[in-house]
Amino acid sequence: MRQFLPFLWLSLLSLCVFSQAASDPDYHEQLVLRPLPLSALLASFNFRSNTTVSEFEKGNFRFFPRSLGQILQHAGTRELHLRFSLGRWDAESWGARPWHGAREGGTGVELWAWLEADTDDEADRKWLTLTNALSGLFCASLNFIDGTRTTRPVMSFQPEGDHSSDANLQLLYGVLPHEVVCTENLTPFLKLLPCKGKAGIATLLDGHKLFDASWQTMAIDIRPICPTNEDCVLQIEQTVDMVLDIDRSKRPRDNPIPRPPPPHELPCDTSKPYHAHDTCFPVDHTANQDWSLSQIFGKAMKGTCPLTDPDVPPVCLQVPNTRSVFVSEGVREKKSPDQLSRCFEIPPSNDFEIVLPPPDDPGQSPSAVVVTPETPLLYAERSFTGHGQERGGVRTILRNPSPDSVVEFIYMETLPWFMRIYLHTMEARIAGHSQPDKSLVQQVYYRPALDRARGTQLEVRMRVPPASTVFLTYDFEKSILRYTEYPPDANRGFDVAAAVITVLDARALGNHSSSIDGGRAKAAYYLRTTSLLCSLPTPDFSMPYNVIIFTSTAIALAFGGMFNILVRRFVAADEGPEVGLGVVIGGLQGRLQRLVKGVRGKR
Amino acid sequence: MDGAKATPGRTAGPYVSAAVLRLAILTLLPGLPDLLTGRVEISTPVTSFKRLQEGLFLYNHNVSPYDGGVYHQAPLFLPLFSLLPSFSSFPIFTYLLYIAVDLLSANALWRIADSGEAGSSALFSSPRREKRWSGFVIAALFLFNPFTVATCIGRSTSVFTTCAILHAIAKAVSGAPFGAMVALSFASYLSMYPLLLLPPLILLCYDRQRSERATKSGLKFAATCLSLVAGVLAVLFQMSYLVTGSWEFLRSTYGVQLTLSDLTPNVGLWWYFFIEMFDSFRSFFLAVFWLHLSSYVGGLTVRIRRQPLVVLTLLLGIFAIFKPYPSISDTSLFLAMVPLYRHVFPLMRHTFVIAAVIMYATFLGPAFYHLWIYAGSGNANFFYAITLVWGLGQSLLVCDLMFAVLRDEWEVERPEMVGKEIRQI
Repeated sequence: MRQFLPFLWLSLLSLCVFSQAASDPDYHEQLVLRPLPLSALLASFNFRSNTTVSEFEKGNFRFFPRSLGQILQHAGTRELHLRFSLGRWDAESWGARPWHGAREGGTGVELWAWLEADTDDEADRKWLTLTNALSGLFCASLNFIDGTRTTRPVMSFQPEGDHSSDANLQLLYGVLPHEVVCTENLTPFLKLLPCKGKAGIATLLDGHKLFDASWQTMAIDIRPICPTNEDCVLQIEQTVDMVLDIDRSKRPRDNPIPRPPPPHELPCDTSKPYHAHDTCFPVDHTANQDWSLSQIFGKAMKGTCPLTDPDVPPVCLQVPNTRSVFVSEGVREKKSPDQLSRCFEIPPSNDFEIVLPPPDDPGQSPSAVVVTPETPLLYAERSFTGHGQERGGVRTILRNPSPDSVVEFIYMETLPWFMRIYLHTMEARIAGHSQPDKSLVQQVYYRPALDRARGTQLEVRMRVPPASTVFLTYDFEKSILRYTEYPPDANRGFDVAAAVITVLDARALGNHSSSIDGGRAKAAYYLRTTSLLCSLPTPDFSMPYNVIIFTSTAIALAFGGMFNILVRRFVAADEGPEVGLGVVIGGLQGRLQRLVKGVRGKR
Repeated sequence: MDGAKATPGRTAGPYVSAAVLRLAILTLLPGLPDLLTGRVEISTPVTSFKRLQEGLFLYNHNVSPYDGGVYHQAPLFLPLFSLLPSFSSFPIFTYLLYIAVDLLSANALWRIADSGEAGSSALFSSPRREKRWSGFVIAALFLFNPFTVATCIGRSTSVFTTCAILHAIAKAVSGAPFGAMVALSFASYLSMYPLLLLPPLILLCYDRQRSERATKSGLKFAATCLSLVAGVLAVLFQMSYLVTGSWEFLRSTYGVQLTLSDLTPNVGLWWYFFIEMFDSFRSFFLAVFWLHLSSYVGGLTVRIRRQPLVVLTLLLGIFAIFKPYPSISDTSLFLAMVPLYRHVFPLMRHTFVIAAVIMYATFLGPAFYHLWIYAGSGNANFFYAITLVWGLGQSLLVCDLMFAVLRDEWEVERPEMVGKEIRQI
């Protein structure tokens, strides 16, 4: 025993040392704050942890959440992407999306995953397991992603991770546009983090603020990464992006009703010709660009997560370096060489606070107050055309802002089966031309909907010439459903999922034009349109019995009338036995009399 | 007024004017065809021209049109319309095809009328048979019926079924059982329900056989006809299989009619009933509705054995009311056959009520549909109520015609009862 103990101590010690050494680079978190024009603030939270694939397969989870890891192992999932989103990204004023759109989803819940399966049936079974398990884990209705909401995109999504080429991977994609993302989805999201939202930047995530944002998206991405000459690691990346309305966030929680500011506090655009003491045109870009972290998020940040990689600064702020920023004591500020951002290194146990005072000179140019947003590669807007509940059309307006380069992209729609689209009416037209241009649409992948079995999948590979706008339109017909298939709020309409646009990398296009045909083009930018609300014709829900009775009566009248004529004999009106009320009464009288006589006779 | 004596110019009159009328509407009112194609009264899921175009588009782009929820029409339409020049660039060829089909139908009707079968069949001659309209009038009544014109302009594919049925009858009355059976097989292939017309049509063929090569045995004759229909249908299905490459089309064309999975509103009684039906009873009532539709065939064929053409007419009227996806095209076919019975019109009892109810439903139907779908000031019950009225009006017409024909038969036995009041016991 005595000989054994030191060995035990030694092994325990080595285990601790080993784990300590391994822990350092395996987890980091970062919050990037970027003020946007029109008194908005983009907050991007990013949490990333790695675990080696061999450890993962043995069931040794460290920073990787065990609950999620077991689901992935059980459902044979090699790569997973899950999105919870709300609101609309205003590209016209806010510019390009964070992460080039790769970490966002359409309104509602989106899930896509690469599953290891040899047959379609096996993939469907695993997908069912996955959606049901995730549904329980994230308190979302992911189990409603059934056959009608599942598609297998052909061109749109490419795996982010490194997969061995001999694995039989199937991509399945499901979307729930109707799902309302809320606090119950945030809590399990935070539980997956190593610090569980108790320390570090995750302490700022609060349901009241997150779901009050103008736009927010929570993303979970799991992918295997195989660096050359090293072990493969499984990486989980959790991202929360939100655009806060500074005005709205600064309202105290106990007094949330907005009141107009007094006239002397209104920031006015003095350059307008009609500016006077009683008229004011509000200044968009510089208004309300003063805030502090605790005002915006309702609380200060509580130190840093002790498990995080100390080399990655936990908070960065993207404002021009000319602006002054005040931070808490003990925080080291590091300005980046491009003059547009600075990062903060925070002592582990102190509370952290940033105060951004109002710009020194209210009349200075917007670019001195906020970083000018990057222009996105493509603007897209989708809407319904037509009126009435019988048929309609979908029109997507795609605008290429670049003055000299063509944008090539894949436009993907997953539509519910009750929107019957007519593909022969699909046409793409350049704004200002009356005739459709056949050269805009290069390739179409279409899988028509089957009633009650699967939805429509439409993928269109298109190009938009420089500095032009393209209208993509098609017609559809709204079908009427069985009354049990309508939701309780049938007249609200049915949500139609966002279209996913994958802008292809122009450089990759130029270099490897042959490999693109294999569907391997690299995506440079993703964007999603807003979801749409499609109102279907509704029956009267209150009267199934009445309809059954009325229709049956009409059929009975016809059937009875016809067979009555067919089976009965014709006689003259005065021939044959008497019928009518008189005959019946007479017969009854006779019977009654006989009965009375019989009774008397017995006496 | 006998068709046989008509001069060629006189024969061509209604055809030319009907063709000119249709062409004028199609070319002078370019928005009207698409408007009518979109009307639920004209285009049903199984006859819509827009769905045909979609099916054609998918077919020409190597996507199976039957692997989707839009196209539910017969596969042989696809190569037929693919042979025509593209509709989007040369619509005139499609228009000409539809006009030609209408004229062919009118021609068949003309021949049926001129045969005099309606007044005097092989087993029965009506005492009133002299009082009839010529083929000229009957063809004109068909060609200028607003329902027929609207169907033609709306380019519903039910015109092909109509044409096949009328040709089957025309062949039967002219003593060509082979042609009749082939034409009926085509009609059944296109729309399925004409298969129910087979028993009376076999009887009609049997009665009108040419004497020189008549088959005496009725059973043998029926068996020959049945095997002929089965053979032609098998050939058509095989051709469809070759065209589409799979048997998927059976489920998508006939399966949809049997199970009513597409509940788009139409003028019939099925759609709203099965929207509101409880899920557990859906299959039961589908069976009941189909059984109901086929129950008339036996009863009518047996009871009106002496006049098979009457049975065919009445069945067409019944189908226009009770089939799964009826449209005004089916009504126009029934209304085309009704004038053949000009001689029993005086025996009908409710002509004014019938005319009023049908007019009422014709005008109020589109209005109520608009209130439900576009204005939002009415609900589905508005249009449903009108379809009920429409169905009742037509069933009253069928009943009345049936009554008149039976009374006409009865008065041969009881000539003294002409004009007297009668009742049925």
